[in-house]
Amino acid sequence: MVRTTVVGTYPRIGETSEEQALRRGIARLDRGEIVEAELQAIERDTVRQVLREQNEIGIDLVTDGQISWYDSQSHFAGKLTSVETNGLVRYFDTNTYYRQPVVHGAVAWKAPVLADDWKFAQANSKVPVKAVLTGPVTLASLALDKHYRSKKALALDLATAVGEEVGSLVQAGASNVQIDEPILTRYPGDLTLVSEALERIRSHKARSTLTLFTFFGDVAAIYKDLGDAPADILGLDLVQGSATWPVLAKHGSTKPLVLGLIDARNTREEDPAAIAKKALELKGAVDLKASYLSPSNGLEFLPRDRARRKLQILRTAAQKAGVGA
Amino acid sequence: MNALLTTSVGSFPKPEYLTRARTKASKGELSPDGLRTLEEKATSEWIRFQEEIGIDILVDGEQYRGDMATYFAENIDGTEISGLVRSYGNRYYKKPIIVDELRRRGPISVDWFTFAQAQTKRPVKGMITGPYTMMDWSFDEYYGSRADACFAFAKLLHDEAVALEAAGAKVVQVDEPALSTRFDELPLLVKAVGIVTKGLKAKTVLHTCYGNYNEIFDYFNKLPVDQLDLEMSNSGLDLLDRFKREPLKKEIAFGVVDVHSHVIEPESLIRERIEKALTIFSPSKLLIDPDCGLKTRSVDEARIKLRNMVAAAHAVRTAHGLT
Repeated sequence: MVRTTVVGTYPRIGETSEEQALRRGIARLDRGEIVEAELQAIERDTVRQVLREQNEIGIDLVTDGQISWYDSQSHFAGKLTSVETNGLVRYFDTNTYYRQPVVHGAVAWKAPVLADDWKFAQANSKVPVKAVLTGPVTLASLALDKHYRSKKALALDLATAVGEEVGSLVQAGASNVQIDEPILTRYPGDLTLVSEALERIRSHKARSTLTLFTFFGDVAAIYKDLGDAPADILGLDLVQGSATWPVLAKHGSTKPLVLGLIDARNTREEDPAAIAKKALELKGAVDLKASYLSPSNGLEFLPRDRARRKLQILRTAAQKAGVGA
Repeated sequence: MNALLTTSVGSFPKPEYLTRARTKASKGELSPDGLRTLEEKATSEWIRFQEEIGIDILVDGEQYRGDMATYFAENIDGTEISGLVRSYGNRYYKKPIIVDELRRRGPISVDWFTFAQAQTKRPVKGMITGPYTMMDWSFDEYYGSRADACFAFAKLLHDEAVALEAAGAKVVQVDEPALSTRFDELPLLVKAVGIVTKGLKAKTVLHTCYGNYNEIFDYFNKLPVDQLDLEMSNSGLDLLDRFKREPLKKEIAFGVVDVHSHVIEPESLIRERIEKALTIFSPSKLLIDPDCGLKTRSVDEARIKLRNMVAAAHAVRTAHGLT
């Protein structure tokens, strides 16, 4: 049996009235009809739904769907010292937008941002909940830096802040932490900086398992060096990043992998048997029993019903792959 | 002399009676004919307003559309419409899904162009959601290739463009907000837009917005259209220096009003923006418009922004003896 996991985000709303509660709640907050605490209760109901759906399908390592995050950049970075959030900017090559963090001075971690949400999610899940954070190099690359004038200097200070946050998550009980660095698919030359930043984060991880995930493209050019990055598990987008596959198949991996083989950006349904067969091509080159199958990136780019269907395909594929692993 | 002509990008906000009617229609509580009557009413109101304030090249205001890609997909064979997908914040939209070969079932926007044009002697733009944006904003369960899906849209949208021209459109605008999504696909976009505009005698316009213009700048003169319509004020007019060094060989419709801000730009500020644009572009090749469609503003905000824009353009025309 190959295990299954998700990457991070999950669609916040669906087509039923119950699944649209969060959208209504935010609109009501905007109109002044409810207060923040009431919206948080609605968010938590949504997190329960999201966990229930993942639990029912049988995903082995789940997330809270990042339901309370406004976006991947401002949710964490916006709560650091000397960071404000600005206008909307396109998020990679997606048709989604993030509020751009603007750095006015030296960044520093103030207090836990994610720990309460993680504790709530874990209390409502039958399986471990993975804590997910955007990596410091991606945060530094997508921010507007008006202070450091150096991506490296900003990234390393952000790494210190992310490390503090990881420490608070581990203290809260998280045993699986994932750092997302999609920027590596655009700027593979940033791998040295990513590794340096991860060293700062690793010192806070204690006994938790640290995953480095890249998505929205391939990492073929740096694949061999990626294995040396200071993380326990490597996560790969093998759909939009299908160019990584030949290098992966050739060189294998000494570390367990998260194999992002299910397309999380298109509704077209994969054949679970074909996905299982593909995963089993790595038998002998990758420790599949210690690895996971997953979608290629967060699921929020799909409608809720299609996201569920993709997870069912993922689970079936993992079961089929398990026969051969 | 045609100098500093004023225009709009496409969408205007829907009046409250129409928003309510659309909700009722989606629940089956209002008939399609009942909804159509109100869409026509709102369209007529916007045409009258544009005439009243003196806009030179009009738009129909897209009162009949929800999302620009979904509206076109709903009228093309081979597509379905997905559930809701998040764009940002609390904004969601339904995406087209390509499930079969794409075919133009009949006119898509011609009917609305004809309705709008019949109410004014001034030119109304024909409006097409571009092939690259249609492809990029759709799920694809049929073609399995972004290029193939893009060209399939391009071919049927060419037929739509020809039909708009035959219906009397003197200006045909192709909207490509997804233009700057993947820089490596710019050659694909150029080719696809070229298929749409091929052989048209109408003036052709390409609108895009909210991208990294510096990355796509080299492609501006390669785009197979007569005019570029660009959001400029949201990005602080920071492209002007580059246009000075590397002149645009086409007309430019220059966005002078930020459509994502509640702040009403005073006429004096808009005049300053136009004056800055005039230091780079000749008045006969410079059109004045908002950055993008105004549909996210309230009706009142959109009206005031447009009034100030036209007043500023007229003032600059007078100051330069261009009337």
